[in-house]
Amino acid sequence: MENNMLSVKNLHATVEGKEILRGINLEVKAGEVHAIMGPNGSGKSTLASVLAGNEKFTVTEGSVEFLGQDLLAMPIEDRARLGLFLGFQYPVEIPGVTMANFMKLAVNEQRRYRGEEPLTAAEFLRLMKEKSAVVELSSKLTSRAVNEGFSGGEKKKNEIFQMAMLDPKLAILDETDSGLDIDALRIVATGVTKLHTPQNATVVITHYQRLLDYIVPDVVHVLYKGRIIHTGDKTLALKLEKEGYDWLINEYDK
Amino acid sequence: MDRILEIIGELRKAGREEFRVTTPVPQPYGAVDPEHLRVELAAGAAAHLVVLHTKAATSSLDVELAEGAQFELTELFLGETFCTTNVRQGARSRCRMTTVLLAGANVGCTVDLTGADAENSLGGTFLVGGREHAVVKLRTNHRVADCRSDSTFKGVAGGEAVGEFSGLVYVAQDAQRTDAQQQSRNVLLSDTARITTMPQLEIYADDVKCSHGATVGQMDADAILYMRQRGLSEAQARRLQIEGFVGDIVRRCGVEPLGEAVLELAAEKLEKL
Repeated sequence: MENNMLSVKNLHATVEGKEILRGINLEVKAGEVHAIMGPNGSGKSTLASVLAGNEKFTVTEGSVEFLGQDLLAMPIEDRARLGLFLGFQYPVEIPGVTMANFMKLAVNEQRRYRGEEPLTAAEFLRLMKEKSAVVELSSKLTSRAVNEGFSGGEKKKNEIFQMAMLDPKLAILDETDSGLDIDALRIVATGVTKLHTPQNATVVITHYQRLLDYIVPDVVHVLYKGRIIHTGDKTLALKLEKEGYDWLINEYDK
Repeated sequence: MDRILEIIGELRKAGREEFRVTTPVPQPYGAVDPEHLRVELAAGAAAHLVVLHTKAATSSLDVELAEGAQFELTELFLGETFCTTNVRQGARSRCRMTTVLLAGANVGCTVDLTGADAENSLGGTFLVGGREHAVVKLRTNHRVADCRSDSTFKGVAGGEAVGEFSGLVYVAQDAQRTDAQQQSRNVLLSDTARITTMPQLEIYADDVKCSHGATVGQMDADAILYMRQRGLSEAQARRLQIEGFVGDIVRRCGVEPLGEAVLELAAEKLEKL
């Protein structure tokens, strides 16, 4: 049986007429952890946004299959309901909307899509309690408005908390490690590792090797000028940390 | 609306044209579509009053608070009522007002702070859609020194609806050490809806702390995207955002289950905007 979860073929995308992704090919299988690295402006966040379905970007060429379905034909919410989760680089504040209320709607909407009954209030509370422990998120935060007044670290923990609540098939984490201190990084990364199973997959987008000390990737890709220019195993991340991207970039630009 | 009528039905009727409260233990009173109502709170007395307007009629409400009285007033507009509310507050009185318009009503509200250390707090919102037209005029008069007032009015308009807000804080020459805040926050849900807001300060005293602000904006597209990425439909995300926007105002409704019932009604209305 084919266990391909995500299959990206020759993906091109533009924003305001400018081409950012210029032929991405990526295969992710269930149980795998992929890391996407690369210098600033190489298109890492764009790739995450395009896969999630952000309408700001226009796909001009290529195809994306997710769990056997044409991902690019689906609106954002259906991609999410099918099991794609995006951890935002900059989580959004939603004044007046409590985390509990937001998550209840999200969880039940995803359950409805899968033909499951909504959770009862008691079941939901139990789930919230269990999952907030994964990232050591205080119950005070889950009763507050979504991300409002959260510190940088709390916002990122909150992303992983939501990931835990929604139990996605594929999680794409867009620079979840940026702006975190050592403790928050450990908590967030350990949380992601706890959530990893042979049935799901994770794509982490990061600048730094340090996240990969916790989340050990099976495959490391280097994105540059909208293309994956190099792919290797976890040792590649260590080499990049030591030597930078220049050796790859110079080779590519030649 | 039935649920709201039921809740108000359980309160003491403030049906007579005039009534006077002397008890210091606050009792909740309710009135539905009063033509004219006059409420007097004796010194040190306390009361809650909920007034529901469902008709296209004129209505007026006069409130007189004696020294140290505490009053909580909730006015709900579900019809195109033309309503005038006047509140006079004596020294050390406290008045907390909540005004919710779920229809194209016309509401004029004047607060007179006439005794030192009186305090007024007003939270209001209008939600209009279709071709509805809501008008809100607030006037807060600081007549004497050492009073405080704050008001926040949040407007939401969709469809081809029109919302108008004007608020004036007047501070008399002798009203030194006045502390007055006024905010007008508005969200447009469509290109064809219109909201005008006119906050004004008229200050004749020189030792005061007054501020006002007004904004008119759109839905936060990033927040909608964020919520959809978690699986909410666009309609759910929009509704949740607007509920979040007006929720703090609507939940102010003093009497216990009323806030939730009104929020429910507001949510139903939002579905149609």
